[in-house]
Amino acid sequence: MALKYALITGGSRGIGRAVCEVLAENTDYGIIINYSSNKEAALETKKLVEAHGNQAEIMAFDVADKKAVDDSLNAWQERNPDAWIEVLVNNAGITKDGLFMWMKEEDWSSVVNTSLNGFYNLSQFVIQKMLRKRYGRIVNMVSVSGVKGTAGQVNYSAAKGAVVAATKALGQEVAKRNITVNAVAPGFIKTDMTEEINEKEMAKLVPANRFGEAREVADLVAFLTSKKASYITGEVININGGIYS
Amino acid sequence: MNEIIEQVNEVLVDEFEVEAETITPEANLRETLDLDSLDYVDLVVAIESISGVKLGEEDFKSIESFKDFYGVLESKIQEK
Repeated sequence: MALKYALITGGSRGIGRAVCEVLAENTDYGIIINYSSNKEAALETKKLVEAHGNQAEIMAFDVADKKAVDDSLNAWQERNPDAWIEVLVNNAGITKDGLFMWMKEEDWSSVVNTSLNGFYNLSQFVIQKMLRKRYGRIVNMVSVSGVKGTAGQVNYSAAKGAVVAATKALGQEVAKRNITVNAVAPGFIKTDMTEEINEKEMAKLVPANRFGEAREVADLVAFLTSKKASYITGEVININGGIYS
Repeated sequence: MNEIIEQVNEVLVDEFEVEAETITPEANLRETLDLDSLDYVDLVVAIESISGVKLGEEDFKSIESFKDFYGVLESKIQEK
């Protein structure tokens, strides 16, 4: 049985799945794959992780729902009393794009709740044990939108920007206990989330002239969660092919 | 209650690496244990494991000395 675990929210698809895979490839962590609705995809990720010999389990909850998060993680802790989550990747996110002038309150709050409250709900739970163990890694998936702001994504930009600030603040708060908190800000990455974007057209705007691969983002996340990145904290790292720096 | 205080003191000596003699009712809790803000998590967990009582941020506001600390702990245990 693994004792040390990495929990990846929104781990069933896209960048989250790639993170699960790369962590399995490079570490002995047991991998907890959180998903909200697509169980089939989560099980597929589980298979990919297990192929590397790592333990894996899927865990269904909505990161925006504090009670669901607490209940799931408390139940997990009861089943695994000696285990702890050493790595948390807050990756779950949703978009509800549209012009701000037409934006419904529901589209505003659901996006903010998932990214920002999700960050609180998960990090607040795992940090207790990290503080006790005097070691931990938190990586928050943000976005170029949260750093630069993107028209048509006022809600998403606000949510991700808030997580950027929280990353910096929490990083300072817990640095003394060897816990690092960083954020990764991807640009255009080939995932379901960017499926509807015309890649050929949009790639012209990117200096690298292409969209990024989920795997490239996952490699960065894996580095930040490793011991090699011990002196990097409160940092936001852009990974966007040069579109914004 | 005295038994719990003894147990608590033992754990504090162990956990915060202080001499047993420095823990007196009048001594300042934070200074004696050299607690920084994050150290409270260790203290809370230690107390919880002994007494089953979980102290929160509010509880520590009224605590200066070990005497205060034992007082809060005692009333919390009775509330249980």
